[in-house]
Amino acid sequence: MNKLTAMLFTAAGLALFLHTAQAFDLGQELKNAARELQKPGGSANLGGYSEAEEVAIGRQIAGNLLGAAPLVPDQKLQKYVNNVGRWVASQSDRPDLAWHFGVIDTNDINAFAAPGGYIFVTRGLYKLLNNEAELAGVLAHEIGHVIRKHHLKILQQGKMLDLGSKVLGKQVSDDKISRLIGSGAEIVSRSLDKGAEFEADRIGVVLAARAGYDAYGLPGVLQEIGHSAADDSSVALLFKTHPHPDDRLARLGEAMDSRFDNLNGQTVEKRFYKIK
Amino acid sequence: MRFNLLVTTALLIISGMVQAAESGTTVKKDSVRAAPFSDAKIVVTLPAATKVEILKKDGGWYQIKSAQGNGWMRMLSIRRGDINKPSAGSSASALAGLASGRSGTGKVVATTGIRGLNEEQLKAAHYDENQVTLLEASTSSRAEAQKFAARARLKARQMDYLADPGGSK
Ligand SMILES: [Zn+2]
Repeated sequence: MNKLTAMLFTAAGLALFLHTAQAFDLGQELKNAARELQKPGGSANLGGYSEAEEVAIGRQIAGNLLGAAPLVPDQKLQKYVNNVGRWVASQSDRPDLAWHFGVIDTNDINAFAAPGGYIFVTRGLYKLLNNEAELAGVLAHEIGHVIRKHHLKILQQGKMLDLGSKVLGKQVSDDKISRLIGSGAEIVSRSLDKGAEFEADRIGVVLAARAGYDAYGLPGVLQEIGHSAADDSSVALLFKTHPHPDDRLARLGEAMDSRFDNLNGQTVEKRFYKIK
Repeated sequence: MRFNLLVTTALLIISGMVQAAESGTTVKKDSVRAAPFSDAKIVVTLPAATKVEILKKDGGWYQIKSAQGNGWMRMLSIRRGDINKPSAGSSASALAGLASGRSGTGKVVATTGIRGLNEEQLKAAHYDENQVTLLEASTSSRAEAQKFAARARLKARQMDYLADPGGSK
């Protein structure tokens, strides 16, 4: 099969041959979808994937990422992070998603989100944390990416043809997921636009505050990371995919202003789980 | 013997570090207040790029010392470290790194596990179903998380999302 034929099959399947009119509709649908994607903070659904499909995509990405860096073999740690993460996610717009959190075994300082509620923080980042509110803030930033579907939007932008198949009501197959997300866990190393990162920061401080924590956990971690030089290998990927912590802090400062002044959140230092 | 000497030296440096204040620089003009509250009395107002010493943190506030006056300042009005020095090279950050278990360059001291996580490794990664099963085994339900929160007396509260300050949207 040559490339063009394959593409047509992917895009429209048999429908293209049965109903020429529908092929024209597909073109229109793709245009509509593209327009929808270009809107800042576009709609939740954007003619994209069902929740089950979103979770299937996220699960595949999570499995690939875990293939690069496995979970830290400490069940108490993993359970603790899931409790904190789930409590924070319960304050979000998607409280009933099956959220999964994990600490992965690498010295790199970073955190990752995949669609459908799969969230990871590296051991390197976890070791910088001083209390539960800081952990909550870091997880809340990633939760922000998931609820606003930032990575899902990137995938959809990159693969309009696959979106086309969805427009025609076909299920997304495993094979298609692999093609959609590219090689391994490459998607988590792709940069979102800066606006999406600032948005995730603003969501992060609000979700932490809603959960009863000190809202300044995330800013505190950003200040700590801001110390690191950009050429430090442990933050290289984080600095490549995110605006510099100083820029993020400046934007957060403007957005938070005095709105958190009378909120006394908890830092919860006592039960903070110390990593071995 | 030499090892002991090394440990002793390290401990001395660390204990010195605990007492020493961290330096910081104001990133914008803001007031220094008598207490960590927005309605506390203003001690002095500092312009941007003023050097301060950070003594401690309380919520969104840093207790600071400056040539112009001491008190509390909004955490987000201060950048930790000296603005004139590259953060990695400064001795303050080298010491801070040592105190937090990191080496002078800010690199985490490798003990166990994989070093780094670069794009190539991510690209080459292969799906690991066993790890996904492990991940899912630690999942907490909403009710479980609720109980966990209650044990630390964390109470959910209402708060609207923040508007984009640079937003034309
Ligand atoms: Zn992010």
